[in-house]
Amino acid sequence: MKDQKLLEKYNYDAFVPENFIPWMRFDESPPLWDPAPDFPLWHLDGTETSLSAIWSRHAYTVVEFGSFT
Amino acid sequence: MNAIADRHAAHDIASIFLYTHEAHPGEHYPHLTSFEQKMRHAQALRDVYQVTRPILLDALDGRCHRAYGSMPNMTWIFNRGGRPVYKSDWTNAESVENALNYLLEVGERRRKGERLAPFRVERIDFRLQDQERFYAGLERNGPKAVKEFSTAF
Repeated sequence: MKDQKLLEKYNYDAFVPENFIPWMRFDESPPLWDPAPDFPLWHLDGTETSLSAIWSRHAYTVVEFGSFT
Repeated sequence: MNAIADRHAAHDIASIFLYTHEAHPGEHYPHLTSFEQKMRHAQALRDVYQVTRPILLDALDGRCHRAYGSMPNMTWIFNRGGRPVYKSDWTNAESVENALNYLLEVGERRRKGERLAPFRVERIDFRLQDQERFYAGLERNGPKAVKEFSTAF
């Protein structure tokens, strides 16, 4: 999928089934105990970090994914 | 979830909120079109919901969110080695705390010399459905969000 198309599809502008159902892919998510994929993340001040930089500093790291709703 | 983060911080357990995308875009918090807007939404979320955990942002294309199943409000727990030890397709504070207490107990048993091997388990947890709070969140996003949710379900 082209970058712009992906951006628009992921950041859909209306909560209608054809927009949100394709993203509900929990069954395809990484299995427990397998090495997890790492990604860059950003703090609210704009500084970049990564998921692995966070999880590697603590015995356990709880990550809640979400938005306003 | 903020309270759980506070209760377990002393046990070397970190908690973050990873801001993804607007699941229910509305007039007040519309769909995202730029990283700057994403930053503003995340800052507003911190203030409106008084999130005391560190808030981090995914990329605008949601590459992290998508890789982990892209559910709107899921929770994962990782160990220091980057292995997920808990994942739930919906966030529930009691379920998360139950998992953390179990993991801490495992650590204690290992310190006492028990040889413990990991295995995978699946189960269903149950959460209280707080429709009033959920609709209040939709209204905060705007009438469009309320209408679209009512139409979808």
